[in-house]
Amino acid sequence: MEILDCLGKRCPLPVIELAKVLKIKPIGFQITLLSDDPASAPDLIAWARMTGNNAKVIDATSFEITKLSD
Amino acid sequence: MALPHIFEVAWPDPSKLGVDSKSAALLLNEARETFAGHLGVRSDEITFLGEANIGFQLGISGLMSGKNRLVYSNIDRMEVFAVAKEHQSEQLQVSSTGQIAYKNLTSEDVVALQLCNRETGTIQSARPANCAGIFVDATASGTRIALPENWSTALWDSTSWAGPGGLGVFALSKRANWSNPLPHLDNRISPGPTSLPLIVASALAIDSWVADEKNLAAKISAINSDIRSFIMANIPDADIAPGGADHLISASFLYVNAEQLVTALADKGFAVDSGSACNATNMQPSHVLAAIGLLTQGNIRLTIHHATTFEEIKSFLQTLAQTVLELRA
Repeated sequence: MEILDCLGKRCPLPVIELAKVLKIKPIGFQITLLSDDPASAPDLIAWARMTGNNAKVIDATSFEITKLSD
Repeated sequence: MALPHIFEVAWPDPSKLGVDSKSAALLLNEARETFAGHLGVRSDEITFLGEANIGFQLGISGLMSGKNRLVYSNIDRMEVFAVAKEHQSEQLQVSSTGQIAYKNLTSEDVVALQLCNRETGTIQSARPANCAGIFVDATASGTRIALPENWSTALWDSTSWAGPGGLGVFALSKRANWSNPLPHLDNRISPGPTSLPLIVASALAIDSWVADEKNLAAKISAINSDIRSFIMANIPDADIAPGGADHLISASFLYVNAEQLVTALADKGFAVDSGSACNATNMQPSHVLAAIGLLTQGNIRLTIHHATTFEEIKSFLQTLAQTVLELRA
Protein backbone atom coordinates (compact mmCIF):
# COMPACT_ATOMS: atom_id res chain seq x y z
CA MET A 1 0.00 0.00 0.00
CA GLU A 2 1.17 3.54 -0.76
CA ILE A 3 2.31 5.67 2.16
CA LEU A 4 1.71 9.38 2.59
CA ASP A 5 4.21 10.63 5.16
CA CYS A 6 2.91 13.70 7.00
CA LEU A 7 4.99 13.23 10.16
CA GLY A 8 5.91 16.59 11.65
CA LYS A 9 3.20 18.43 9.70
CA ARG A 10 0.61 20.36 11.65
CA CYS A 11 -3.14 20.49 11.14
CA PRO A 12 -4.73 21.04 8.65
CA LEU A 13 -1.82 20.01 6.36
CA PRO A 14 -2.17 16.20 6.65
CA VAL A 15 -5.84 16.33 5.62
CA ILE A 16 -5.13 18.81 2.81
CA GLU A 17 -2.31 16.65 1.41
CA LEU A 18 -4.46 13.53 1.69
CA ALA A 19 -7.28 15.21 -0.24
CA LYS A 20 -4.82 16.25 -3.00
CA VAL A 21 -3.54 12.71 -3.40
CA LEU A 22 -7.02 11.17 -3.44
CA LYS A 23 -8.33 13.63 -6.01
CA ILE A 24 -6.59 11.85 -8.88
CA LYS A 25 -7.08 8.28 -7.61
CA PRO A 26 -9.92 5.86 -8.42
CA ILE A 27 -12.64 4.74 -6.02
CA GLY A 28 -11.39 1.91 -3.83
CA PHE A 29 -7.85 3.33 -3.67
CA GLN A 30 -6.16 2.70 -0.33
CA ILE A 31 -3.30 4.57 1.30
CA THR A 32 -1.58 4.63 4.68
CA LEU A 33 -1.31 8.12 6.15
CA LEU A 34 1.39 8.74 8.75
CA SER A 35 0.77 11.72 11.01
CA ASP A 36 1.82 12.60 14.55
CA ASP A 37 -0.37 15.69 14.76
CA PRO A 38 -2.78 15.37 17.73
CA ALA A 39 -5.67 16.63 15.58
CA SER A 40 -5.25 13.94 12.91
CA ALA A 41 -7.15 11.16 14.67
CA PRO A 42 -10.37 13.15 15.27
CA ASP A 43 -10.04 15.06 12.00
CA LEU A 44 -9.52 12.06 9.70
CA ILE A 45 -12.61 10.41 11.20
CA ALA A 46 -14.59 13.66 10.75
CA TRP A 47 -13.17 14.14 7.23
CA ALA A 48 -14.25 10.61 6.27
CA ARG A 49 -17.79 11.24 7.59
CA MET A 50 -18.06 14.60 5.80
CA THR A 51 -16.64 13.48 2.45
CA GLY A 52 -18.03 9.94 2.30
CA ASN A 53 -14.67 8.19 2.56
CA ASN A 54 -13.25 5.76 5.08
CA ALA A 55 -10.53 6.35 7.69
CA LYS A 56 -9.38 3.68 10.10
CA VAL A 57 -7.07 4.35 13.02
CA ILE A 58 -4.23 1.77 13.00
CA ASP A 59 -2.21 3.23 15.84
CA ALA A 60 -1.35 6.65 17.29
CA THR A 61 0.43 7.81 14.13
CA SER A 62 -0.91 5.69 11.27
CA PHE A 63 -4.25 5.66 9.52
CA GLU A 64 -5.65 3.49 6.75
CA ILE A 65 -7.58 5.53 4.25
CA THR A 66 -9.94 4.16 1.60
CA LYS A 67 -11.37 6.37 -1.13
CA LEU A 68 -15.08 5.67 -1.44
CA SER A 69 -16.33 8.80 -3.16
CA ASP A 70 -15.19 11.44 -5.66
CA MET B 1 -26.03 52.35 40.19
CA ALA B 2 -23.10 53.62 38.14
CA LEU B 3 -19.85 51.69 38.38
CA PRO B 4 -17.69 54.49 39.91
CA HIS B 5 -20.33 54.93 42.61
CA ILE B 6 -20.13 51.23 43.47
CA PHE B 7 -16.43 51.63 44.20
CA GLU B 8 -17.19 54.65 46.43
CA VAL B 9 -19.71 52.84 48.59
CA ALA B 10 -18.57 49.24 48.43
CA TRP B 11 -15.01 49.52 49.74
CA PRO B 12 -15.42 48.72 53.45
CA ASP B 13 -15.22 45.19 54.84
CA PRO B 14 -18.85 44.06 55.31
CA SER B 15 -17.87 41.91 58.29
CA LYS B 16 -16.65 44.87 60.42
CA LEU B 17 -18.81 47.03 62.71
CA GLY B 18 -18.33 50.60 61.47
CA VAL B 19 -21.14 52.59 59.83
CA ASP B 20 -19.54 52.23 56.39
CA SER B 21 -19.14 48.51 56.93
CA LYS B 22 -22.81 48.20 57.82
CA SER B 23 -23.84 49.83 54.56
CA ALA B 24 -21.42 47.57 52.73
CA ALA B 25 -23.00 44.56 54.47
CA LEU B 26 -26.41 45.78 53.30
CA LEU B 27 -25.15 46.01 49.73
CA LEU B 28 -23.77 42.47 49.98
CA ASN B 29 -27.06 41.13 51.30
CA GLU B 30 -29.05 42.84 48.57
CA ALA B 31 -26.70 41.36 45.96
CA ARG B 32 -27.06 37.93 47.52
CA GLU B 33 -30.87 38.19 47.33
CA THR B 34 -30.66 39.31 43.71
CA PHE B 35 -28.57 36.28 42.73
CA ALA B 36 -30.72 33.91 44.77
CA GLY B 37 -33.83 35.10 42.92
CA HIS B 38 -32.36 34.71 39.45
CA LEU B 39 -30.45 31.48 40.06
CA GLY B 40 -33.20 29.64 41.94
CA VAL B 41 -31.33 29.01 45.18
CA ARG B 42 -31.65 30.34 48.76
CA SER B 43 -29.59 33.42 49.52
CA ASP B 44 -27.84 31.66 52.43
CA GLU B 45 -26.72 28.89 50.06
CA ILE B 46 -24.59 31.35 48.05
CA THR B 47 -20.85 31.97 48.39
CA PHE B 48 -19.01 34.39 46.12
CA LEU B 49 -15.67 33.26 44.71
CA GLY B 50 -12.91 35.62 43.62
CA GLU B 51 -11.63 32.93 41.32
CA ALA B 52 -14.60 31.24 39.67
CA ASN B 53 -12.83 28.03 38.68
CA ILE B 54 -11.86 27.11 42.25
CA GLY B 55 -15.58 26.25 42.43
CA PHE B 56 -14.92 23.02 40.50
CA GLN B 57 -12.67 21.79 43.31
CA LEU B 58 -15.03 23.05 46.04
CA GLY B 59 -18.14 21.73 44.37
CA ILE B 60 -16.88 18.28 43.40
CA SER B 61 -14.24 17.31 45.96
CA GLY B 62 -16.48 18.60 48.78
CA LEU B 63 -19.03 15.92 47.87
CA MET B 64 -16.47 13.11 47.67
CA SER B 65 -15.64 10.95 50.64
CA GLY B 66 -13.35 7.92 50.41
CA LYS B 67 -16.08 5.60 49.17
CA ASN B 68 -17.50 7.81 46.42
CA ARG B 69 -16.87 7.56 42.70
CA LEU B 70 -16.99 10.65 40.48
CA VAL B 71 -18.98 10.24 37.25
CA TYR B 72 -18.34 12.92 34.64
CA SER B 73 -18.29 13.22 30.86
CA ASN B 74 -15.71 13.67 28.13
CA ILE B 75 -17.11 17.10 27.22
CA ASP B 76 -16.81 18.46 30.76
CA ARG B 77 -14.47 21.37 31.44
CA MET B 78 -10.74 20.58 31.88
CA GLU B 79 -11.16 21.80 35.47
CA VAL B 80 -13.43 18.77 36.06
CA PHE B 81 -10.82 16.48 34.47
CA ALA B 82 -8.23 17.91 36.89
CA VAL B 83 -10.43 17.24 39.93
CA ALA B 84 -11.26 13.75 38.62
CA LYS B 85 -7.56 12.83 38.69
CA GLU B 86 -7.68 13.10 42.49
CA HIS B 87 -10.56 10.66 42.90
CA GLN B 88 -11.88 7.29 41.88
CA SER B 89 -13.77 8.25 38.75
CA GLU B 90 -15.49 7.18 35.55
CA GLN B 91 -15.58 9.26 32.38
CA LEU B 92 -18.73 8.80 30.29
CA GLN B 93 -18.53 9.17 26.48
CA VAL B 94 -21.13 11.45 24.96
CA SER B 95 -23.11 10.53 21.83
CA SER B 96 -22.62 12.18 18.42
CA THR B 97 -25.07 14.86 19.58
CA GLY B 98 -23.09 15.44 22.77
CA GLN B 99 -25.64 13.74 25.02
CA ILE B 100 -24.93 11.62 28.09
CA ALA B 101 -26.86 8.48 29.00
CA TYR B 102 -26.63 7.67 32.70
CA LYS B 103 -26.61 3.94 33.35
CA ASN B 104 -26.10 2.04 36.58
CA LEU B 105 -25.60 5.05 38.83
CA THR B 106 -25.31 3.95 42.44
CA SER B 107 -25.91 5.71 45.74
CA GLU B 108 -22.13 6.10 46.02
CA ASP B 109 -21.72 8.01 42.79
CA VAL B 110 -21.16 11.75 42.70
CA VAL B 111 -22.10 13.20 39.30
CA ALA B 112 -20.65 16.29 37.62
CA LEU B 113 -23.41 17.63 35.37
CA GLN B 114 -22.69 20.31 32.78
CA LEU B 115 -25.97 22.03 31.88
CA CYS B 116 -24.55 23.66 28.74
CA ASN B 117 -21.22 23.31 26.98
CA ARG B 118 -19.50 26.65 26.45
CA GLU B 119 -17.81 25.58 23.20
CA THR B 120 -20.59 23.92 21.24
CA GLY B 121 -23.65 25.15 23.15
CA THR B 122 -24.69 21.50 23.72
CA ILE B 123 -27.49 21.41 26.28
CA GLN B 124 -27.50 18.25 28.36
CA SER B 125 -30.98 16.76 28.57
CA ALA B 126 -30.38 13.77 30.87
CA ARG B 127 -30.60 14.31 34.62
CA PRO B 128 -28.87 11.94 37.05
CA ALA B 129 -30.96 10.37 39.80
CA ASN B 130 -30.42 8.08 42.80
CA CYS B 131 -26.82 9.16 43.32
CA ALA B 132 -24.84 10.49 46.30
CA GLY B 133 -24.66 14.05 45.02
CA ILE B 134 -24.69 16.28 41.95
CA PHE B 135 -22.27 19.08 41.15
CA VAL B 136 -23.81 21.34 38.53
CA ASP B 137 -21.52 23.22 36.15
CA ALA B 138 -23.71 26.18 35.21
CA THR B 139 -20.78 28.33 34.08
CA ALA B 140 -21.99 28.48 30.47
CA SER B 141 -25.76 28.23 31.01
CA GLY B 142 -25.94 31.10 33.50
CA THR B 143 -29.56 32.05 34.13
CA ARG B 144 -30.86 30.24 31.04
CA ILE B 145 -31.28 26.72 32.46
CA ALA B 146 -32.73 25.89 35.88
CA LEU B 147 -30.87 23.67 38.33
CA PRO B 148 -32.18 20.10 38.66
CA GLU B 149 -34.19 19.72 41.86
CA ASN B 150 -31.69 17.28 43.38
CA TRP B 151 -28.59 19.49 42.94
CA SER B 152 -25.97 19.47 45.71
CA THR B 153 -23.45 22.10 44.63
CA ALA B 154 -23.52 24.51 41.70
CA LEU B 155 -21.17 26.97 40.04
CA TRP B 156 -21.88 30.01 37.87
CA ASP B 157 -19.53 32.47 36.18
CA SER B 158 -20.41 36.16 36.30
CA THR B 159 -19.41 36.61 32.65
CA SER B 160 -22.32 34.40 31.53
CA TRP B 161 -24.74 37.26 32.29
CA ALA B 162 -22.32 39.85 30.92
CA GLY B 163 -21.13 40.69 34.43
CA PRO B 164 -17.50 41.42 35.32
CA GLY B 165 -14.97 38.58 35.02
CA GLY B 166 -13.10 37.28 38.04
CA LEU B 167 -16.24 36.43 39.98
CA GLY B 168 -17.88 33.07 40.52
CA VAL B 169 -21.13 32.33 42.29
CA PHE B 170 -21.08 29.06 44.19
CA ALA B 171 -24.10 27.47 45.81
CA LEU B 172 -24.13 24.72 48.40
CA SER B 173 -27.50 23.10 48.94
CA LYS B 174 -28.71 22.75 52.51
CA ARG B 175 -29.37 19.08 51.69
CA ALA B 176 -25.87 18.32 50.43
CA ASN B 177 -23.51 16.01 52.24
CA TRP B 178 -20.49 18.28 51.82
CA SER B 179 -17.25 18.97 53.66
CA ASN B 180 -14.77 21.65 52.76
CA PRO B 181 -11.93 20.19 50.64
CA LEU B 182 -9.78 23.33 51.15
CA PRO B 183 -7.67 23.95 54.25
CA HIS B 184 -9.92 25.86 56.70
CA LEU B 185 -10.23 26.86 60.35
CA ASP B 186 -13.87 27.95 60.40
CA ASN B 187 -17.05 27.23 58.45
CA ARG B 188 -16.40 29.69 55.65
CA ILE B 189 -16.51 27.93 52.29
CA SER B 190 -13.96 30.18 50.58
CA PRO B 191 -11.25 32.01 52.49
CA GLY B 192 -12.09 35.21 50.61
CA PRO B 193 -12.31 38.14 50.71
CA THR B 194 -14.14 38.65 47.42
CA SER B 195 -14.33 42.08 45.83
CA LEU B 196 -17.62 43.67 46.94
CA PRO B 197 -17.63 46.15 44.03
CA LEU B 198 -17.43 43.18 41.62
CA ILE B 199 -20.27 41.42 43.43
CA VAL B 200 -22.50 44.51 43.30
CA ALA B 201 -21.62 45.18 39.65
CA SER B 202 -22.42 41.57 38.79
CA ALA B 203 -25.76 41.77 40.65
CA LEU B 204 -26.71 44.82 38.56
CA ALA B 205 -25.57 42.97 35.44
CA ILE B 206 -27.67 39.87 36.16
CA ASP B 207 -30.77 42.04 36.76
CA SER B 208 -30.49 43.79 33.43
CA TRP B 209 -29.39 40.58 31.68
CA VAL B 210 -32.49 38.70 32.75
CA ALA B 211 -34.74 41.59 31.70
CA ASP B 212 -33.03 41.84 28.29
CA GLU B 213 -32.95 38.08 27.76
CA LYS B 214 -36.77 37.94 27.81
CA ASN B 215 -36.99 40.52 25.02
CA LEU B 216 -34.00 39.37 23.00
CA ALA B 217 -34.24 35.57 23.12
CA ALA B 218 -36.29 35.48 19.90
CA LYS B 219 -33.78 37.70 18.06
CA ILE B 220 -30.84 35.57 19.20
CA SER B 221 -32.61 32.41 18.11
CA ALA B 222 -33.33 33.94 14.67
CA ILE B 223 -29.70 35.04 14.28
CA ASN B 224 -28.59 31.52 15.19
CA SER B 225 -30.80 30.02 12.44
CA ASP B 226 -29.57 32.62 9.94
CA ILE B 227 -25.93 31.72 10.64
CA ARG B 228 -26.57 27.98 10.38
CA SER B 229 -28.54 28.17 7.16
CA PHE B 230 -26.08 30.59 5.56
CA ILE B 231 -23.10 28.35 6.31
CA MET B 232 -24.91 25.22 5.12
CA ALA B 233 -26.01 26.90 1.88
CA ASN B 234 -22.86 28.86 1.05
CA ILE B 235 -19.77 27.23 2.54
CA PRO B 236 -19.09 23.66 1.42
CA ASP B 237 -17.32 21.14 3.68
CA ALA B 238 -18.46 22.82 6.90
CA ASP B 239 -19.18 20.89 10.09
CA ILE B 240 -21.55 22.69 12.45
CA ALA B 241 -22.06 21.42 16.00
CA PRO B 242 -25.63 20.20 16.59
CA GLY B 243 -27.99 22.86 17.94
CA GLY B 244 -28.16 23.70 21.62
CA ALA B 245 -27.98 27.06 23.35
CA ASP B 246 -29.02 29.73 20.85
CA HIS B 247 -26.22 32.15 21.71
CA LEU B 248 -23.41 29.69 20.90
CA ILE B 249 -22.38 28.27 17.52
CA SER B 250 -19.35 26.16 16.71
CA ALA B 251 -18.45 25.58 13.06
CA SER B 252 -15.41 23.92 11.48
CA PHE B 253 -14.23 24.22 7.91
CA LEU B 254 -12.34 21.41 6.23
CA TYR B 255 -8.88 22.24 4.76
CA VAL B 256 -8.73 25.57 6.65
CA ASN B 257 -6.05 26.66 9.11
CA ALA B 258 -7.95 28.07 12.10
CA GLU B 259 -5.18 30.40 13.17
CA GLN B 260 -5.22 32.05 9.75
CA LEU B 261 -9.02 32.17 9.79
CA VAL B 262 -9.25 33.76 13.24
CA THR B 263 -6.52 36.26 12.37
CA ALA B 264 -8.10 37.17 9.04
CA LEU B 265 -11.50 37.68 10.70
CA ALA B 266 -9.90 39.78 13.45
CA ASP B 267 -8.25 41.97 10.79
CA LYS B 268 -11.72 42.59 9.37
CA GLY B 269 -13.09 43.49 12.82
CA PHE B 270 -14.70 40.24 13.96
CA ALA B 271 -13.63 38.62 17.24
CA VAL B 272 -14.14 34.86 17.26
CA ASP B 273 -12.63 32.09 19.34
CA SER B 274 -11.39 28.71 18.10
CA GLY B 275 -11.10 25.16 19.39
CA SER B 276 -8.50 24.11 16.83
CA ALA B 277 -5.10 22.84 17.90
CA CYS B 278 -3.13 25.54 16.11
CA ASN B 279 -4.99 28.14 18.15
CA ALA B 280 -4.42 26.46 21.53
CA THR B 281 -1.46 27.14 23.83
CA ASN B 282 -0.90 23.39 24.30
CA MET B 283 -1.33 22.66 20.54
CA GLN B 284 -4.09 20.15 21.34
CA PRO B 285 -7.42 20.24 19.53
CA SER B 286 -10.54 20.93 21.58
CA HIS B 287 -11.37 17.82 23.62
CA VAL B 288 -15.06 18.73 23.27
CA LEU B 289 -15.07 18.72 19.46
CA ALA B 290 -13.06 15.47 19.40
CA ALA B 291 -15.40 13.83 21.95
CA ILE B 292 -18.50 14.64 19.89
CA GLY B 293 -16.73 13.54 16.70
CA LEU B 294 -16.75 17.01 15.13
CA LEU B 295 -14.00 18.31 12.87
CA THR B 296 -11.40 20.18 14.94
CA GLN B 297 -9.50 21.92 12.10
CA GLY B 298 -10.63 25.31 10.86
CA ASN B 299 -12.89 25.72 13.88
CA ILE B 300 -14.50 28.95 15.02
CA ARG B 301 -16.77 29.53 18.00
CA LEU B 302 -19.30 32.31 17.87
CA THR B 303 -21.09 33.96 20.75
CA ILE B 304 -24.20 35.95 19.86
CA HIS B 305 -24.49 38.80 22.35
CA HIS B 306 -27.61 40.72 23.32
CA ALA B 307 -26.33 43.67 21.30
CA THR B 308 -25.52 41.63 18.16
CA THR B 309 -27.53 42.87 15.16
CA PHE B 310 -28.75 41.17 11.99
CA GLU B 311 -26.70 43.69 9.94
CA GLU B 312 -23.49 42.77 11.77
CA ILE B 313 -24.17 39.08 11.21
CA LYS B 314 -24.89 39.61 7.52
CA SER B 315 -21.59 41.37 7.06
CA PHE B 316 -19.79 38.78 9.20
CA LEU B 317 -21.15 35.88 7.16
CA GLN B 318 -20.13 37.45 3.84
CA THR B 319 -16.64 38.00 5.27
CA LEU B 320 -16.51 34.45 6.61
CA ALA B 321 -17.49 32.86 3.29
CA GLN B 322 -14.99 35.01 1.41
CA THR B 323 -12.19 34.29 3.91
CA VAL B 324 -12.74 30.52 3.93
CA LEU B 325 -12.68 30.57 0.12
CA GLU B 326 -9.40 32.53 0.08
CA LEU B 327 -7.72 30.32 2.67
CA ARG B 328 -8.66 27.17 0.76
CA ALA B 329 -7.25 28.51 -2.51
